Amino acid sequence: MGEIFRLGLVLMLVAVVAAVALGIVNGKTAPIIALQKEQEKQDAMRLVAMGLVEADSMRFDSLVVEGMQNPYASVDEELRVVKVSVPPDTSVAGYIFIAYGKGYSSTIQTMVAVDPEGTVAGTKILYQQETPGLGANVTDPSKLTAAFIGRSADEILLRKDGGDIDAMTGCTITSRAVTVSVRKGLQAMAEAGLFRGTGDTDSGEVREGGVE
Amino acid sequence: MSLAKDLTNGIFRENPIFKLALGMCPFLAVTTSVENALGMGAAATFVLICSNFLVSLLRNLIPSKVRIPCYIVIIATFVTLVDMVMNAYLPELHRSLGIFIPLIVVNCIILGRAEGFANRHPVLNSVADAVGMGIGFTLAMVILATFRELLGSGTWLNMNVLGRNYANQPLLIAILAPGAFILLGFILGVFNILEKRRGGAK
Amino acid sequence: MTGSNLILTLTMAAPGGSGTGFDVGRMMAIIIAAIFVNNYVLSRFLGICPFLGVSKQLDSAVGMGAAVIFVMTLATLGSWTVYNLLLVPMGLTYLRTIAFILIIASLVQLVEMILQKFSPVLYQALGIFLPLITTNCAILGVAVLNIDEKYSLGYSLVNAVAAGIGFTLALVLMAGLRQRLELADVPPALRGKPIAFLVAGIMSIAFLGFAGLGG
Repeated sequence: MGEIFRLGLVLMLVAVVAAVALGIVNGKTAPIIALQKEQEKQDAMRLVAMGLVEADSMRFDSLVVEGMQNPYASVDEELRVVKVSVPPDTSVAGYIFIAYGKGYSSTIQTMVAVDPEGTVAGTKILYQQETPGLGANVTDPSKLTAAFIGRSADEILLRKDGGDIDAMTGCTITSRAVTVSVRKGLQAMAEAGLFRGTGDTDSGEVREGGVE
Repeated sequence: MSLAKDLTNGIFRENPIFKLALGMCPFLAVTTSVENALGMGAAATFVLICSNFLVSLLRNLIPSKVRIPCYIVIIATFVTLVDMVMNAYLPELHRSLGIFIPLIVVNCIILGRAEGFANRHPVLNSVADAVGMGIGFTLAMVILATFRELLGSGTWLNMNVLGRNYANQPLLIAILAPGAFILLGFILGVFNILEKRRGGAK
Repeated sequence: MTGSNLILTLTMAAPGGSGTGFDVGRMMAIIIAAIFVNNYVLSRFLGICPFLGVSKQLDSAVGMGAAVIFVMTLATLGSWTVYNLLLVPMGLTYLRTIAFILIIASLVQLVEMILQKFSPVLYQALGIFLPLITTNCAILGVAVLNIDEKYSLGYSLVNAVAAGIGFTLALVLMAGLRQRLELADVPPALRGKPIAFLVAGIMSIAFLGFAGLGG
């Protein structure tokens, strides 16, 4: 019994030292990681919002839109919408949201900027772990996402699905994941009445007042 | 003198990949580009050096009955350390290595060297062995990654080598999963021939 | 039937899942992805060491596969529970790697002791493979991927079993091919490991053909 106790003590000592050491390092790196994630997000939002407004300072407020359907439930994510405005002015210059789509080997995250009419103004792939050399090329805007610019939900559809956007060669799954997820996000926002009714969806209901 | 021997041992004579066939999983998975290979090599080498150092230092204190769990905890601690530091300072690399950073824990090279070398040798030799093994592992990864990146995307360390025309229509399979297996098979074949030659010359 | 459905609903409703409930379509997608599209061995490169080491004979390949499915499922159960019920509430998620590898290592020990004591037949069949499993990165890989993909407990278990089946499938196919290769005339330089990798490469090409299934 004495030996088991001694062995257990050694093991516990090793584990405690390890946990304490990691706790200290985590305390140092966690804020840096959080800061850098936030910075990355801000940079990405600024970048995609460039297509909406040309301004040095932009304001991003997260919106709570009541009654909006969540199109990303199947990948355990939520549709969160951010309102873009140019500081002294509080009117809506556009919206930013992140679309989540299940690709070939990862859930691809696409940040999208939309103008108040519901037309895509900018995109950026935030995260993907697709096949290098194939699906991973989706990060190059000219391969796919550049085609979204200037289009509304109804027009964002691959040629194979009846639209006129060309899928990346050899990666229909990745292309479809991005396209469909962006489209779904736009549709949910339109149904929630976020866009000025320019007839791009069947829900003509305009509720500008209900935005904030 | 024997220190130098311990150092070079892992690079050639007992190269973990070409000779011992250890640590195959990260080896095949992250060699899609030279950059990833170097990143994984650096991370694994760091963990290898630290764990060999500590295991050798504590080799007389840890009761042999619980040594394996202790080694695993030591290795996992350093791996988590690398994971955090890389996430904080090299987020791009952290993202592209993905799940293979936590998986350094089960890289057989590291536990293998702790159990097979460090627990029986003095600290300095163990560190030399770790450096050698780390370099050998990294070198092997860079060799495979060079072939895969050159053939699969026409670049080397993200620099365009084979020209625009090739980069637009590369031999994609090299960068996909089958390319890793097939190219490694051929590299090992060449390695066998070279070794037979050297053996014959002696 | 109702009994098994009840269990599924219970596990799906466990904490961690965001209340999306149980979805047969998604479950099928996970199964097909883990076995074929993203086969853990041939496409994700997890568990290569046993894949090469234990694929010389069909019998041992089947034994190893069974042991992996068994341990993988238990390890997922353990790691998911510890992560979501212990590490997350206590804000210790950075201890994930250490916790998981310890769970797997002690689980393997435990399974070995229990089998030895209560089921000598099963121990005879699986025993020699168990120690090898601790360093099988597919086990830790599945545990980590389940967390990264934010699967609920039910989906995690489905994924674990399917990943184990995918591993076994690759292993058994490989063993069959290697038994044939014994009789083939392979160039001397390629004998042994090189030809095994070439065969694995060709199998991997075949598995690429599954791309698009259950996407």
